[in-house]
Amino acid sequence: MSTSISSTSTTPRWKAWVSAQNIVVAVVLVLAIIFPLVVDRPRFWLPNIGVRTLWMGTIAMSLVFLNKYVGLLSLAQMTFAGICSYGIGYFSVTMGWPIIPSIVLSLGIGSFAGWLTALIAVRTKAIYFMMITLALAQVFYSWASQAIEVTNARRGIAPIPRPDFGFINLNDITTFYYFALVLAVIAYVIFRYTATSQFGLAIQGIKDSPERMSALGYNVNRYRTAALTLAAFVASIGGVILVFDRNQVDPSFVSLDSTLNILVVAVVGGIGSLGGVFIGGLVFALLQNFAQDFTDRYMTLTGLVFIGVLLFFPAGLVGLGPMIRRLFSKRAKASASSESSETLDAERRAGTHNKKGQHK
Amino acid sequence: MKAMLKKRLVPVVAIAATAGLILSGCSGAGGGETKEIKIGVLATDKGNLAFGMDEAKAAIGVSMASIGGTIDGGEIDGVPVTIVYEGTDGTSASAQTAVKKLVENDGVDIVFGPVSGDEGETVVQYALTTPEVTYVNGSASPVGMTLAGATNFFRFHGDSAMWMGGLGDYAYNEKGYKKIYAIAEDYSFPYDNAGGFFSEFCAAGGDVTGNSWVPVGTTDYSSIIAQIPADTDAVYVGLGGADAASFLSQAVTAGVNKPLVGGTIAVDTTALSGDANIADVAAGMIAGGPVPGPDYDSPEWQAFVAEYVKQPKAFPSPSIFSILYYNSFNSLLLALEEVKGQLGSPDQKNLREALTALEWTSPTGPIKLDANRQAIVDNFLIEVEKGADGKLTTKQISQTSGVAQGTKTYDRFEGCPK
Repeated sequence: MSTSISSTSTTPRWKAWVSAQNIVVAVVLVLAIIFPLVVDRPRFWLPNIGVRTLWMGTIAMSLVFLNKYVGLLSLAQMTFAGICSYGIGYFSVTMGWPIIPSIVLSLGIGSFAGWLTALIAVRTKAIYFMMITLALAQVFYSWASQAIEVTNARRGIAPIPRPDFGFINLNDITTFYYFALVLAVIAYVIFRYTATSQFGLAIQGIKDSPERMSALGYNVNRYRTAALTLAAFVASIGGVILVFDRNQVDPSFVSLDSTLNILVVAVVGGIGSLGGVFIGGLVFALLQNFAQDFTDRYMTLTGLVFIGVLLFFPAGLVGLGPMIRRLFSKRAKASASSESSETLDAERRAGTHNKKGQHK
Repeated sequence: MKAMLKKRLVPVVAIAATAGLILSGCSGAGGGETKEIKIGVLATDKGNLAFGMDEAKAAIGVSMASIGGTIDGGEIDGVPVTIVYEGTDGTSASAQTAVKKLVENDGVDIVFGPVSGDEGETVVQYALTTPEVTYVNGSASPVGMTLAGATNFFRFHGDSAMWMGGLGDYAYNEKGYKKIYAIAEDYSFPYDNAGGFFSEFCAAGGDVTGNSWVPVGTTDYSSIIAQIPADTDAVYVGLGGADAASFLSQAVTAGVNKPLVGGTIAVDTTALSGDANIADVAAGMIAGGPVPGPDYDSPEWQAFVAEYVKQPKAFPSPSIFSILYYNSFNSLLLALEEVKGQLGSPDQKNLREALTALEWTSPTGPIKLDANRQAIVDNFLIEVEKGADGKLTTKQISQTSGVAQGTKTYDRFEGCPK
């Protein structure tokens, strides 16, 4: 790795693309791509761990995006995903439509639900926003549990078979895993791109100081509405993976439990990191599958892991990196302290010089 | 720049290494194939049916004791049997996770379970995709499960419509109820349960004066009680657990003077022991289900109860779940004994033929399968009565033999089921 970095320093065009964040993303992506090849029981690992991680991560990522760039904690993301799942079930199974228009229309409906939610919730902030999104999520849950004509109430819509598009057949679990991976990567790219676009800068400005941005002529609520709609769209992408993973849709998709699971995934992964949610998703999926191999009280174990993460890694599991770095730098400091303090000072000065040089 | 990159590189490597460890470490957790028979049990161990796992283990314990085994396994004709357990929370999502883990990761030959109807419908869908594994149902009772065409799925107890077998006729002809108002929870189990009752009741000539489908967890029934028309002869209570208890106590307060007809889970100890005052409305309530009344005394039943109470964490008397789990697991065990532990190939042919042909007398009467691998069983009608000490108890009013499955699944209906 170090050789590639030293070579990048002589190749300025790559410079912009080489950052610790992008390297992590690349490594995780490579691991995700080889995942089906290294597991011994793909029919278990791909759906129960792989695909689950991907849809939980994608939905949680939309929550993290709103939290990180818009400063709003939305508890309706799972609901938007569920609305998209319901759409696919309703159009393709109940109405018997072809699958591709069903998916496209459902993505639209999921996003539309986000837009409607934004119209109601966007004027509020912090806990009020959270409560309104939670309330709307619960309204949809109650509706889904009762509206037998559309959602088939508690029984839900089943089976929703995985489609065969001709060029790709999602009934093959490995193909389906890569399909889900591609969708998750698209979702990630959408958010990364948005964050650095003019729109992204504007919403970050609004997050920091809505009053100033308003004074500068930005329509604060309209920007927030747009961001929420975009996040609902990405959550809906998660809903597409989810519905084909489960092959059915029922009210438990949008229950309070599922909503909170997404929040836990986001917090465990790192509420400030777009990609970290997939690590959160992975940990959560592993716990869901294996915690009971160790103890009968596996819900307690899951809870303890959650508390442990909150206590020791307030920035989520992606905060582990910086923590280890600090640990190493402390050790470096300790070993350096045995040498003369003057050398250390000189090193520090050199470091500062380097940094200054970089800014230029 | 270099220093900064170096600083950033540390977390990168650390995370990559951790991810690598997770991948390599966990993939080792998957087991290989063995020559023994591995049975994977699905049962609820959290949520409102959390006691399902204990009841399942008690039932399996009784059954395995008959071959000298334990809840963890035993031996059939020299073939070791291992039993692994996977807990769920009663939702379709957790059942889907758990059944995939049992089949794909633990590599079980036979899946036994699950408990709830929501889980059952999911497990049947999964069974359709894994024809090489045999599924024996635990206590999930939706009608549609054995009508889904999964030839590897067997159910050795009645569905929730069959649990009402005989009650509609009894209510109309013996009790003389001509018009009934229906209150039931709004999910698949009460649909089938009420559907079974009302299809028989309406066929006998009865009429429905109205249906109230309430969400699970409803505690306020005052507005619904107020809707019951005056010319109603009886009220059907398709509620369970705490909901049934709430309804009964509010029925007393609101002065409901109509006799009650209970769904299968309305008359259990939770509802009856909840409030001493409910005796006024609950006494005389009739209900149907797979559980016999306390005065039932077939030798098989007595032998089962005697073994059941010895099990750790057993209730004072067996619940509906332990009875269904026992009848189902013992059916499986008898079939395994029949084939001397040789499952056969392809697709466990021997075992499936033995299961299909099995006929035995269970604690709750004779069991055999129909062409859809659905049991034809006996069903029990019970009536709540006030005991000498003022406490509510149940007595058995009849045992309907050879109740077979209908061909209809029920959804929420208005009036009589269509």
